[in-house]
Amino acid sequence: MPDEKVKLGVYTCYCGGNISHVVNCEQVAKKLGGMPDVVISRTNMSLCSDAGQSQIEQDIKELGVNRVVIGACAPMLHEQTFRGTVMRAGLNPYLYYHVGLREQDSWVHANDQQGATQKALRLMAAGVAKARLLKALEPIRLEAEKRAIVIGGGVAGLRSALDIARQGLQVVLVEKSPFLGGRMAQLETVFPTGGDARSLLHDLIDEVVKHSNITIFTLAQVAGVSGYVGNFTLQICQHSRGVNTENNEALLAACRQEIPDDFNYGLNNRKIIYRAYPGCYPPLPAVDWENYNGEPLLIDGGKPIVLQDTPKTFDVNVGAIVVATGFDPYQPRQGEYGYGELKDVITLPEMIRHLALSKSSEHLRWNGHPVRDVALIHCVGSREIEGVDEPQEDGQVNNYCSRVCCTATLHMTEELQRYFPELNIYDLYQDIRTYGRGHEEYYNRALEDGVRFFRYHGEERPEVTAAPAGDTHPVLVKVKDALTYGEQIDIPVDLVVLAVGMMARDIDDLVKMLKVSRGNDRFLLEVHPKLRPVETAVNGVVLAGTAQGPMNIQESISAASAAAAKVVSLLGQGKVELQPFVAAVDVEKCNGTGACVEACDYEDAIALKTFEQNGKEVRRAVVTPANCTGCGACVSVCPNRAVDVQGWTLAQYEAMVEAIGMELPVLAEAAA
Amino acid sequence: MTTQIAQKETISRGEMLKRLRAQHAETVERTQALLKEQKRIQREICQVMRENPKTVPEIAEAVGMPTNEVLWYVASFKKYGLVLENGMCGDYPLYQKAEEK
Amino acid sequence: MSNLQVDALVVGGGIAGMQVALDLGDQGLQVALVEREASIGGKMITLSKVFPTLDCCSCITTPKMSAVAHHPNIQLFTYCEVQSVTKDNAGFDITVLQKPRYVDESKCTGCRQCEYECPITVPSTFDRGLGAYRAIRVPFSTAVPQKAVLDIDNCLLCGKCEKICPVEAVDFTQQPQTFSIEATAIVLATGFELSELGAKKEYGGGKLPNVIDPLMMERFLAPTGPYGRVLRPGDGMEPTTIAYVQCAGSRDQTQGVEYCSRVCCMYAIKQAMLISGALPMADITIYFMDIRTFGKGYEQFYQNAKAMGVEFVRGKVASIREDENHNPIVKVELTEDGRIVERTHDLVVLSLGMLPGASHQNFGLTPSSSDGFVAIPAANASPCVTQRPGIFVTGTAGGPMDIVDSIITASAAASDASAYIRRKTGVQVEQPEVAYA
Repeated sequence: MPDEKVKLGVYTCYCGGNISHVVNCEQVAKKLGGMPDVVISRTNMSLCSDAGQSQIEQDIKELGVNRVVIGACAPMLHEQTFRGTVMRAGLNPYLYYHVGLREQDSWVHANDQQGATQKALRLMAAGVAKARLLKALEPIRLEAEKRAIVIGGGVAGLRSALDIARQGLQVVLVEKSPFLGGRMAQLETVFPTGGDARSLLHDLIDEVVKHSNITIFTLAQVAGVSGYVGNFTLQICQHSRGVNTENNEALLAACRQEIPDDFNYGLNNRKIIYRAYPGCYPPLPAVDWENYNGEPLLIDGGKPIVLQDTPKTFDVNVGAIVVATGFDPYQPRQGEYGYGELKDVITLPEMIRHLALSKSSEHLRWNGHPVRDVALIHCVGSREIEGVDEPQEDGQVNNYCSRVCCTATLHMTEELQRYFPELNIYDLYQDIRTYGRGHEEYYNRALEDGVRFFRYHGEERPEVTAAPAGDTHPVLVKVKDALTYGEQIDIPVDLVVLAVGMMARDIDDLVKMLKVSRGNDRFLLEVHPKLRPVETAVNGVVLAGTAQGPMNIQESISAASAAAAKVVSLLGQGKVELQPFVAAVDVEKCNGTGACVEACDYEDAIALKTFEQNGKEVRRAVVTPANCTGCGACVSVCPNRAVDVQGWTLAQYEAMVEAIGMELPVLAEAAA
Repeated sequence: MTTQIAQKETISRGEMLKRLRAQHAETVERTQALLKEQKRIQREICQVMRENPKTVPEIAEAVGMPTNEVLWYVASFKKYGLVLENGMCGDYPLYQKAEEK
Repeated sequence: MSNLQVDALVVGGGIAGMQVALDLGDQGLQVALVEREASIGGKMITLSKVFPTLDCCSCITTPKMSAVAHHPNIQLFTYCEVQSVTKDNAGFDITVLQKPRYVDESKCTGCRQCEYECPITVPSTFDRGLGAYRAIRVPFSTAVPQKAVLDIDNCLLCGKCEKICPVEAVDFTQQPQTFSIEATAIVLATGFELSELGAKKEYGGGKLPNVIDPLMMERFLAPTGPYGRVLRPGDGMEPTTIAYVQCAGSRDQTQGVEYCSRVCCMYAIKQAMLISGALPMADITIYFMDIRTFGKGYEQFYQNAKAMGVEFVRGKVASIREDENHNPIVKVELTEDGRIVERTHDLVVLSLGMLPGASHQNFGLTPSSSDGFVAIPAANASPCVTQRPGIFVTGTAGGPMDIVDSIITASAAASDASAYIRRKTGVQVEQPEVAYA
C-alpha cells in the first residue's frame, strides 16, 4: 500500500475538569496545532461523550484525518471506547494513540500547574511523534471454545454455571469439596424472605444437575492454567470418592474414625466417610482424605479394607473462567473477645449451627448450662482500625465492612426470640447497617421484641471476661455505651455470640495461576468497580460472589448472573479477538541467531523454524501470535533489529524519546 | 440508532403557527407576559451592573427583588454569555455585563 | 407505521436500562429502549463524581450513552412513554407514545442556535430548577441524542427558532404519535425519584431557600452546573458552614418511608469530600443515626472523610428553621450526650431518600411491594424476576441501590431475560462483530 500523507487529528480532553483544572489544555492544543502534519487540534470538555466522539468521527470523514492522538484519562478507561469511535468513522482502530494526561499528569502534579502543562505538551508531542509512524493493524482473530469453567460449587458458582449453560454454552463446574452447596448449605433460614436455605439451594442444584450442558466434578481442584481468552487449558486434579454405590453403606457402618464436623463448626463429630448434611448432592458419601488415618475398615464376611485415593488429572479447554471460590468466616484470634479461652464465646456461624441443632429443645443450653442471657457483638474482624486493633497475619487490619453481618445478626435475634422467647438479648454495635430491601424491618422488629442495644466506638471495643467465681453468669461483657452518654456498663451473660465478618479465602495458588489481582482487603479485584464490576484485569476471567468481597445471597446471585452475561457475550460467537501488540519478525533481516528464543519467557511464543526462502533452506525466528504477550524481551536482544512489537516499534519509541527531550517554549501559567 | 416517528401534514407554515397559537392561547398569553417581565428584569439587572461588578444581594437591593430570584436570573445570563463572573466581594461572587460581541 | 418486533423492550434509559440494553445487544438480541426524557442518562448523568473512586461521572456515563446510540442491535426511542401493554402467548404488545419534540431529529445537528435565539427562559429541571434554559433547547451538553426539544407549554410560538435554524429542523406540525412494539420480554429500568424536599414540615416544608436536596448539590459540584461553583441558592453566597441531615427521607415512620435508602450515607460523605476540595475553608457537618458505608471500599472512604476533617455528629435532627438572613438553624438531639442544641449553618443539604419511579405503576404491568418498588417474589433465587413471566426488573426500580449494584443487576437481568427469550423463541442468536464497551 502506497504511503499516504499523514494527517494528524490531535485532541486534548478537559476530562470534565479533571485535567483542565491543572493543565492549560487550550495552550497545549494550540501548540500542538502548529506541529507538522497536524491538520486539526481541538480541546473538548469530555471527548468520551457522544458529542466528543462525533467530533472525532466528523474530522476523520471530512478533514481526512488518518492518525488520531487523544490526550485524556488513562487508556484503561477509554482506549477501547475510542477504538470504536475511530472504527465507526472508517479508519483502522490502531491508527490512534492514547496519551494519559490525567493519572500521569494532572492528578499527580496538582500543585504545579505550569509544570503539569509543560509535561502535558511533552506527552502529547511524544504521542504525535509516535502516531506519525503508526501502521494499520488487524486484531488477532481466533476460534474460541464455547465452553466455560466455573471454579466453585457454592450458590454463586451454581448460578453462574446455570446461566451460562442456558445460553447454549458448555460448562465445567469444579468443586473442591465432595459436595455442592458451599456456605449457603450451612444456613437455616435466609433473610429477607425467611425461606429455607437448603431448599432454595436444592432447587438450584436440581436445575444445574439436570442441565445437559453442565458437567460437574466434585473433589476437583485446578492444578494449572495456561492459554489466553478463548483458549484456556486448565489442569484439573480430582480425588476419588473412596466409596462406591455398592459398598458405601457397609463402609459407612464399619467406619470408626471420627473427627469434629466442620459443617457444624466442630459442635459435633462426624465420621471420615461422610455426607455433608442429609439430602446433600451428590448423595454418595465421600472419604475425608486429609484426615483419614489409614486404618482398615472391617466389613462382615470380607477382608479389612484400607481406603485408597486414586487421584487423576485431566485437562479441560475453555474460553472463559468464572472464579466463584467463596469466602471464609473470620476466625477470631485466641483470646479475642475471650474466644478460644472462654468456652461461652462463639461465632455467629457457630450459633447458626447450634440453633439448628437446638431448636426443638425447650430451653436453649450451651456448654452444659442453660442460656438465659445472650450478648451479640457486631464488627468482629471488620472495621478494624490501624494502631488500635491487632493486624492480621499479613500485617494489615481488616478495615473493611463485611456488609452482611448487621442484618444477619438481627436475623439471629429474631430467630432466637422465636424459638426461645424468654431469652434476654443484648446487641452491641457500632452502626446498624441494615441497608437492604427488607432489612430495616429486622432492626425494627428487634427493637419491638425488646432486644437491648448498646453502642460502642471502634476505638474502645467491648471487653469479654470470665465473671468472678460464684457469679450468676459465667461471662461478663463490659461496654462503654454511647447511648447512655458513655456510661461503663457490665452485662452478665451466659453466652456471647461474635458477629464475625468475611475473610478472603486463601487461594494463593489459584491467584498465581490465573494472574489475577487482589485488593488491599485481600478479596479478588475487579477491573473497575463502576464500569466493569465483575471482570478482572485478565481477559476472560470473571468473578462471581464472595470471592470478590462480602455480599449476601441475593447479591451473590446477581453478581453470578452478571458474570455469566459477560461470558456469554465473550464466547457466544465462537471467536475472540486479541490485541495485535505482539512481536513480528522481518525475515529479510533475521539470520537465525536465536537470541530471541533464549530471551523469551513464554511458552511457544517464538521459535526457530526451518523453511524455504528464495530457493534456499533457512532457519528463521517465527512468532506464534496467540502466545505472545508483546513484552519485547526478544526485541531487546536481537542483534539485527529483525523483530519488533507491532504497534510499539523501536522506531516509534525513538521518535517518542526525541519528542520528549525536545526544546519546548515555556507555556503560559495557570490553567483556565 | 435513534428513531423518531413523526407525521407531517401539508399546510403552510404561517397557517400552522396561527392554528397553534389559537390552540395554545392560554400558554401564549402567559408566555407573552413572562417575556415582558423577563425583558424588564434583564434590563434592570444589567443596568445595575453597568458601571461596576455587583454581588447578587447588591443587585437584589437595587432592583427590589428577592435574592434567590436574582440569583436565578444571573445564573441564566451567565449561561447564555450575557454576564461574567469577576472576582469576589467577601463570600459573594461579583458579576458584570459581558462585552457585546 | 408497521409494528416493530424486538426480542426485548427496555423501559428506561438510565444507567441500569443502558447496561441491560448493551448486554442484551452484545448477546445478539434485538432491543428497543424507550426513554421518556429527551435524552438518556437518567439521574446518573446529573451527578458530579461517583463514590468511592471519585471518577468524573460524565466520563463513565457518556461512553455508555454513546454505545447505546451506536449499537447495531439497539433501537433508541427518546421522548417516548409506554402507554399500555397487553400480553399474549407470543409475548407483549406495547403501545408507545412519541411526544412531539417539534424538531426533526433527522435534520437537527444540535448547534443550539435556536436555543440562543429563543426569548423565553425557564427553570431547568436538569439543574433542579436552579439553573435555566430556553423554551427550545438541547437538554444538556452531553445529551444523547444531541438534538433540540421544544417545550410547547412554555413556548411563545414566536417562530424565531424556526427562522434561525440553518437546516430547517424546527417543525411545528408535529403531533403526538403512538406506535406499537412487539417484544418477547420486557425489562423495567424505570429508576427512582428523590423523596420530596418539602415532605417534612419540621424541616421547613421545602420553603427555606438554603435547605436543598442532594441532586442540587451534585449540580453545584458538577463542571456544568448552574453557578459554576458551590453557592447557596438563597442569595448566591459561597457557604462556609454546610450541614447534611441524614435519613431525611428514609427510616421515618412519620413520612411513611420506613426503609433505608441505602445510598445516602455514601453520597453525603462523597459530597462532603468534594466540597472540601472546592471550598477548602468550609466546615462540613454530617448529622446521622447510623453510617451505612457497607460496600467495597466504602468504609475506607468514610474513614478518609473523617481524617479529612468532615465532622460526624450522631444526632437526630428534630427541626430546621431559619434566621432573618435565611441561614438555616438545625435543632438536633445529640445522642452521645443527651443535649438538645441548635446550630446555625450557611447551607443545609437534606439527605433525601429514594422513592419508586412512578412510571411502572402506571402500566399496571406487575405488582409492587408495600415499599412501592417492583415486587421481586424470589429475591434469593432470581433477584431480577418480577411476579409476571417475561417481565424483569433492574436497577432502582427494584429497590434503592447505588450505581455498582445497578450495573450488576442490569447484567443479571440481561442474563435472565436472554435465557427467557431463548426459551420462548428457540432462536440461535448471532453476535455482532465487535461488542462496544
